Amino acid sequence: MRVEYINPFVEAAFNVLKEVLTSDVKRGELYLKSTTQPVMGVAALVGLAGNVEGRVLFDMSIETALAIASDMNGEKLEQMDDLAKATITELANMITAQAVTKLHELGFTFDLTPPAIFTGENMEVTDSEVEALIVPMELSYGKVEINVAVRERV
Amino acid sequence: MSSVNEVINTTEKEVKDTVDFKMVTFSLAGKDYSIDIMKVKEISNANRFTFVPNSLPFVKGVYNLRGDIISIIDLRIMFNLPVAEVTDKSLENLIILRLDDYQLGILVDSIDKVVGINSASIQPPHPIFGDINIKFIQGVVEHDERLYVILDVEKIFGQDEEFEMITPPQESYSASGADSPFGRTVKTAGDSGNLDYSFIIENLKTFKKFTVSGINKEWFDRRFAEWIKLKGSNTEELQLKSESDADLFLSGFFSIATGRFWDDTLLSAFEKILPDFRKNTVSVWNPGCGNGYETYSAAAVLFKKYAGASIKIWASDNDLLSISNAPNLVFKRESLPEILEEYTTESTTGLQFNQVLKDVILFEYHNAMHPNPFMEVDIIIARDLLSFMNTNDQAHLVKEFEDKLRPGGLLVIGNNERINSTRFKYIGNSHITGYIHE
Repeated sequence: MRVEYINPFVEAAFNVLKEVLTSDVKRGELYLKSTTQPVMGVAALVGLAGNVEGRVLFDMSIETALAIASDMNGEKLEQMDDLAKATITELANMITAQAVTKLHELGFTFDLTPPAIFTGENMEVTDSEVEALIVPMELSYGKVEINVAVRERV
Repeated sequence: MSSVNEVINTTEKEVKDTVDFKMVTFSLAGKDYSIDIMKVKEISNANRFTFVPNSLPFVKGVYNLRGDIISIIDLRIMFNLPVAEVTDKSLENLIILRLDDYQLGILVDSIDKVVGINSASIQPPHPIFGDINIKFIQGVVEHDERLYVILDVEKIFGQDEEFEMITPPQESYSASGADSPFGRTVKTAGDSGNLDYSFIIENLKTFKKFTVSGINKEWFDRRFAEWIKLKGSNTEELQLKSESDADLFLSGFFSIATGRFWDDTLLSAFEKILPDFRKNTVSVWNPGCGNGYETYSAAAVLFKKYAGASIKIWASDNDLLSISNAPNLVFKRESLPEILEEYTTESTTGLQFNQVLKDVILFEYHNAMHPNPFMEVDIIIARDLLSFMNTNDQAHLVKEFEDKLRPGGLLVIGNNERINSTRFKYIGNSHITGYIHE
């Protein structure tokens, strides 16, 4: 993963989460992964295209997703209904868009695909031939992992 | 509140009282040790073991245990502890172990008793443990105001692949023995030389992730001999007790100009071994580039050598802090070699490289063990990278180099590293280690 891409994603995730949530936000230690990884329960996925190819995955447990959606909506949501899903989708969109804007200022042009959301148990994600950068964010509702796998077009 | 405390107290007491781990305790050089009872077959007294010629120093010989022939190992010699004089008649204390696929007898000073504890009370060993290598310790436990070190016998005697590797070569064995001026103790000095050798290998791995293997064995043997000269053959002094000891041991290992710009001798040595490629593009892979000093230095030489060709350097490191600084490296003019001067520009933060140079280098946060996107490269620069991986990863990466480097391409590794492969032909000199892929 190109060094210049790392910071925009970390900063955007931190800023957006801090802004939209009442919870404390703490950044965890970044690391790289290349094997199949388990997904916690709710995964929002945004594709990237342009100078690069890849995707950003926002991964959290259902409980964390519900707490975040409740916080953002200002009302208690009990289950992963359309409103909760739409809220998580929007959060993924906001973070990715802000990161891409920052990257655009640095001279890298990407396009985004509309976010897709996956929910379920025992899910896994595998990227072929791309290693993923994991940006863990600790909230008081639980952990959100931002999993960025992009590579240069060759 | 008090009732809550009471509950907690009773639960704690219960945890302490449940015995789910029994161990046989014994002493070595006055200290208490123990072994999981499930590994112990029986306890016995014996002497006069049948000597086996040409065996390792800590192997006392073999013993006939009711028809089964088992090897006897003296744990005190193995761990460099003093051995009490034995008269011919006295019996020695023997613990017979039942390991996965064979039996083994170990000699200890005295056998104490069987102690039952709760496995939750076992604490992990502290990294700075004196006599016995930390890898061999399962944990430490307190019982009756005595501290017992639980030895992990599977790790000590298990048939580890690496065992082969840590068996020292004959030269260093005799070299350390010859240093000793005392006739009778020559053998003992040689014995401890054996163990010091493998302990240093273990400690380098623990403290610095430095793996001694065929890649750097030549250097390690040389350095080990130097180290004995420097520290004397006393085991206590020879051991690497901390990270700074390990740093000192490794101080001569790193290649010329690690963590700074290449000097003129290295730059010209590099230029000399560069092959002539008759093509318009030259692609380079530089895993483990750190702060990027070597990447920029090499790039300038490539510009000079392959003028007109399009150069692409793919530099990566898995240390986030170092690699983050690489793309916008700021430096002082004094530290810069002449060849790089034309590629600099003043910025608000200080002197930096200009876009011409930056455009050919792509710095990535990447783990060299993970898959990479490119098909084939012309040059690989990976100085002092292999030595800091375990043997499996080393083998994997050397294979990766063979796959990814074009025939006729150049591989550069650390000054004190060597690759033994029929597919790589050595063309280096004292400043640089290079191989041409055949």
